[in-house]
Amino acid sequence: MHGVSRVKQSQAALEAKRQRERAKLKEYLALSDEILSRKKRGDLGMESLALTTKMLQINPEFYTVWNYRRNIYLGVIFPNSTPEQINETLERDLVMTTIALKAHPKVYCIWTHRRWCLAQTPEGPGREGDDIHGWRMKNWKQELFVVEKMLGVDARNFHAWNYRRYILENMPVKKPDIDELVYTTKKIQANFSNFSAWHQRSKTYPLLWESNVLDSEKSREEEFDLVRNAMYTDPEDQSVWVYHRWLVGSGEDIELLKREIRAIKELLEEEAGSKWCMESLVHYQTLLVQRHYAVLGDGEYGRLRANSLELLQQLETQDPLRKQRYRDIASSFPSNQ
Amino acid sequence: MIMDSDVVLLGTDLPSSILAAALAKAGYKIIHVDPNDYYGGDHATLNVDEIISWANLRSAPAENERANDYLAAQRDRFVSISYRGTPPPASRQYSLSLSPSIIPSVGPLISTLVDSGVSRYGGFKLLEKVALYHSPGFVQNVPNTKEDIFNNRNISLIDKRRLMRFFTFVSGDFEDKAELHGKQSVPFIEFLISTFTLERSIAETIVFALAFCSSPQEPALPALKRVRHYLGSSGRYGPSPFLVGHYGGLGELVQGFCRVSAVSGSTYILSHSPSSTPTGPLARRRYSISLTGLDETINCDLLVSSIESPEPTSVGVATGVARCIAIINKPLLFVPTEADTPPEGSPPAMDKVVDTALIIFPPSVLPGGSETTAAHVLVTGEGSMSAPKGNWILYLSMPLADSKVSAETVLQPYLEATLTLADEGHQIEPTFSLFYTQLECSSSAHDGRLLVPQITTLISECGDSAAVVAEEMFRETVRALDGLRRERGIEIAEEPIPFWPPLEGEGSNDEVEDW
Repeated sequence: MHGVSRVKQSQAALEAKRQRERAKLKEYLALSDEILSRKKRGDLGMESLALTTKMLQINPEFYTVWNYRRNIYLGVIFPNSTPEQINETLERDLVMTTIALKAHPKVYCIWTHRRWCLAQTPEGPGREGDDIHGWRMKNWKQELFVVEKMLGVDARNFHAWNYRRYILENMPVKKPDIDELVYTTKKIQANFSNFSAWHQRSKTYPLLWESNVLDSEKSREEEFDLVRNAMYTDPEDQSVWVYHRWLVGSGEDIELLKREIRAIKELLEEEAGSKWCMESLVHYQTLLVQRHYAVLGDGEYGRLRANSLELLQQLETQDPLRKQRYRDIASSFPSNQ
Repeated sequence: MIMDSDVVLLGTDLPSSILAAALAKAGYKIIHVDPNDYYGGDHATLNVDEIISWANLRSAPAENERANDYLAAQRDRFVSISYRGTPPPASRQYSLSLSPSIIPSVGPLISTLVDSGVSRYGGFKLLEKVALYHSPGFVQNVPNTKEDIFNNRNISLIDKRRLMRFFTFVSGDFEDKAELHGKQSVPFIEFLISTFTLERSIAETIVFALAFCSSPQEPALPALKRVRHYLGSSGRYGPSPFLVGHYGGLGELVQGFCRVSAVSGSTYILSHSPSSTPTGPLARRRYSISLTGLDETINCDLLVSSIESPEPTSVGVATGVARCIAIINKPLLFVPTEADTPPEGSPPAMDKVVDTALIIFPPSVLPGGSETTAAHVLVTGEGSMSAPKGNWILYLSMPLADSKVSAETVLQPYLEATLTLADEGHQIEPTFSLFYTQLECSSSAHDGRLLVPQITTLISECGDSAAVVAEEMFRETVRALDGLRRERGIEIAEEPIPFWPPLEGEGSNDEVEDW
């Protein structure tokens, strides 16, 4: 195990350890058999519920047991409870999964169960207006808080980011999108090597542009400035280049394309041999030629083609494991027809 | 009556205290003596009343007083002493250090603290910030990490790339790299500008705020090593590379080590000094020493001292460090210059009031200050348990080429400039301030005693320097004692004694899972 020093153990100690493990294993298998047979029988009682709690604490990846638990709730417990009681039960389960997530932040079934709890939250406590969403908003806000804590611990946990998008989309009373933009800015400033944070920006901006909260021209310019700062700070960070491609988009704007190509060329001069610079130049030059051949003309086309092929040659030498890929790209460079 | 020991240590400064603890834990009988009535010697932590007594004792002697050897040595070592202001009422709530320090999170001192168990006795505060003084009321942020560089609006794109390239270079094994070949002794700033094509202002930031050089002429290699050390220390306990010890830093650590030493059987004698030169050799021990005012004689095989008289410097003027300790009761704010302010739309800047931080004055930034040497100002507040709420301690230090200039004259402009950073609109004065010059000293050994070398005075290196000196002294001491044992026909252990034995009560973890 990482970071834990091996302790030399005597034969006796090892044997004692094996005994303990055997006992644990036996106990686990007994529990598992018990639960599965109850499930098969269709037993939806409180005792079975308690057994699922016990099992899920040991092994939260046992998705069958999660399903069984939900069936018990839906089949027997909820039909016989008031909305208050249902809400309380769901809150307890949310607490249980929070604890589980601290130890197992990337287990799919735990996240699934949380979503289920949220979806099941009944209307209430009141009958009208904001009050009708009272319980739900409380739970959803708590969800946002939990997800933010998890992203605080590991800003690159894509489960957490996915879940965050799910919450923002489904909250009964929505948070303004601009807040989300600020949140991603915070994450990127802390560490811009974060695919998920950039991705979130690419999801948030279109919403803001559509609803005219932000001007798309101005935003793009600011983003290009941000991305260029990241590129120059660390040209080897892939997430930055991926976002840059999204920003450039289809390459309709010829001036934009030319300007970005220039900026990357400057960076390549400063940082000779940067793989991402070279690959991106090829990509954008290809785009330029594909979309704007008519404006460029034959001469310019020839120059761009020659430069791209030269870069691909360099990449072949530098990155021989991907030789075939670069050759492939070279052979599919658009012709001047 | 005779007290018997293997080693007598004179002076409880930090390296001696670490040494005492290590020797005691290794099973040697130690008697540790200090002429003062407090622990720590030149690295002690004192409250305000105590530091005033300290200052008075070392200033010009009263007429009818006959100074003992120790005081005479101290008066040679600490000169140009002056103080003003009224000592604050809660004097005991202040922990003032004679040797202010910031401790890198990775390094010999931290390792020694952990290995010896002394880390369990004390607490530490993470240094919040290092900033460069820019102009009255304003500081400049210092980029420490990739993220700092990314977010900085003050540096051009190309300069960001070059600075990152330098960071990558300096964080690795650069000793054999081509960039450094033949240039190890080139002035650090020239090395940076020529090898990394860095802008002069950026190079200066590296020289003064990352390597903490006093002069830009300092050679490249040692400065590079320091930068690597500090950059590599960030992240261990938090974003900053440095820790500041609670209750006055090094003085508190001294007490921890002396405690470990005492718990392992050493005897401590404060307020006493040797009354005369030791005599010997004896039947079973090398030396016999007596202390003034004590009836007992002490027998030992080895004498290790850190309280010697300094030699008069043979050539030219003495060099030293000008120091100031000032107490203020208004907070300082680190307000970035306009160019440094984070862009709109990004989250609001953190609270700018500083509790524990370091300000660097590069040469020539201050009219009336030095044009050749940098000055350091360490601010410590309530968070470092060294001052009561609403009060802060400022430690100023600057190397002096010419110790004939008074410490107060040299440091006054820096003190005033630091105070311009106070809450805007308040023209504040320190409630109390003490100035003195600590001369660089060397002494020579006589009568076979071992001398504890001086530790470096650089604020970010003094702690580690003490740990390194202590370990070297430990090896030397053990070698000497082993030599004596061999002579006497006593058996000595085959295996070399470790600097610290494994700690008891720590992880014997038999629940370790084998994966």
